[in-house]
Amino acid sequence: MKIDKRDFIKKVLSGAISGSLFLVFPLDTTGIEFQNGISPSDANVKLPEEIPEIRARQYDIHKQNFAFIVDITRCIGCGSCCVADKREYNVPDGNYRTWVERYIKDFDDQVYVDCPNGGLDGYQKPRTDIPLNARDTFFVPKLCNMCREAPCVQVCPVGATFTSPDGFILMDSDRCVGCAYCIQACPYSARFLNPITKTAEKCTWCYHRVRKGLLPACVEVCPTGARKFGSLNDENSEVYKILKGPGVLTVLKQSMGTLPTLYYMGQRLEVV
Amino acid sequence: MISKHSVRIILVVLSVVVMAGGGLLVKAQLIPKSFGLYGSYRADAIEEEAQKVVRHGTNKSCFECHPYEAKIHLQGDHKTISCEFCHSTYADHVSNGKRTAALPVKKGEEITTLCLRCHNTEIKARSTIVIKTVGMPDHLKQQNVKLTHTCNQCHHVHAPLKYINEAKKITGLMEEKP
Repeated sequence: MKIDKRDFIKKVLSGAISGSLFLVFPLDTTGIEFQNGISPSDANVKLPEEIPEIRARQYDIHKQNFAFIVDITRCIGCGSCCVADKREYNVPDGNYRTWVERYIKDFDDQVYVDCPNGGLDGYQKPRTDIPLNARDTFFVPKLCNMCREAPCVQVCPVGATFTSPDGFILMDSDRCVGCAYCIQACPYSARFLNPITKTAEKCTWCYHRVRKGLLPACVEVCPTGARKFGSLNDENSEVYKILKGPGVLTVLKQSMGTLPTLYYMGQRLEVV
Repeated sequence: MISKHSVRIILVVLSVVVMAGGGLLVKAQLIPKSFGLYGSYRADAIEEEAQKVVRHGTNKSCFECHPYEAKIHLQGDHKTISCEFCHSTYADHVSNGKRTAALPVKKGEEITTLCLRCHNTEIKARSTIVIKTVGMPDHLKQQNVKLTHTCNQCHHVHAPLKYINEAKKITGLMEEKP
């Protein structure tokens, strides 16, 4: 093979440049995760509408008002929500967009909290490592609180996380640089760094389902109705009636001034 | 003839124009489209999020093709349980209206484990208003069955009291056990 010095340098340089471009623009891995799904435009798939009025009208992003209520007196800690959430998003092992905590309070007002594998495997065994004088035990499902004053949005240096006009805190994984400021900022530990995409990820209240008139996956599978979701523009929705009614609703870490739109029913003071 | 001073002034003005223009061009290139439409973020990201594919159907989407299971499931106490919780995701089973793969069906001990995920009395945190719970193996002893019995030998998994109510009807023993 005959090759002169000039050609050789040209080839080496172009090879090096094109090679380094692969480092700058990594292969899109997010696409692979969602390949295996129900296509929204698919006429064959019958998905009945669960949030009324979403499909009938053009979605006006400025006029939406959704609420999420968790009734912890009805939660039985089965972990259906956690399983559904993992399957809906193919969440990598060890990370949780939503999880269920077990609280045990004894007569000395000691509080014991545990959450084995985020509640993914359910709670099969009682705790044996604590004194036996428990007086109050309950499960607390946790997810994104969709704060009106979201600390995660405030700290993001690149505008990769934001509050959409319809009140959802969403992630723009194209812009996320993976600095993890938002993960530290979130008082509810709702965020994590996806080990595959290296970008921050969080519960979105299943924004893609809501926009298609479906309930979030966790609400869909909850067997006891402990998780409730609906539009406040619809006066017949369960969440509207609860929010309008006299029942006591609380939010987590109220003193932090994050103004969550996730409400809890039957919440104990000890829950943080 | 232009004086030396004017040339310098023209050069300064020109370089400012070139640098500012270049800066603006680079800025326009770096800021993504739709950035700033609603706030300091890319507004298109909202639509991208909304377009993500759905993987969980609803119970009704399962019942479309499984009317026999639907009939039993909807009559029983388990009617609020999602099909997909026990049988896995709709998207793993159907694609474009066609069946692509079989979903797992739980068998034997797996069923007992699955039942006790909700119905275990030992986990004290379960409200009796919401769910009936049993302690194992006490429940098996009380019912005078072998300790190796799995739940589905007496209880239909979709409608737990189906066989029990039928048996009571046949034998005429209608009194309810607490």
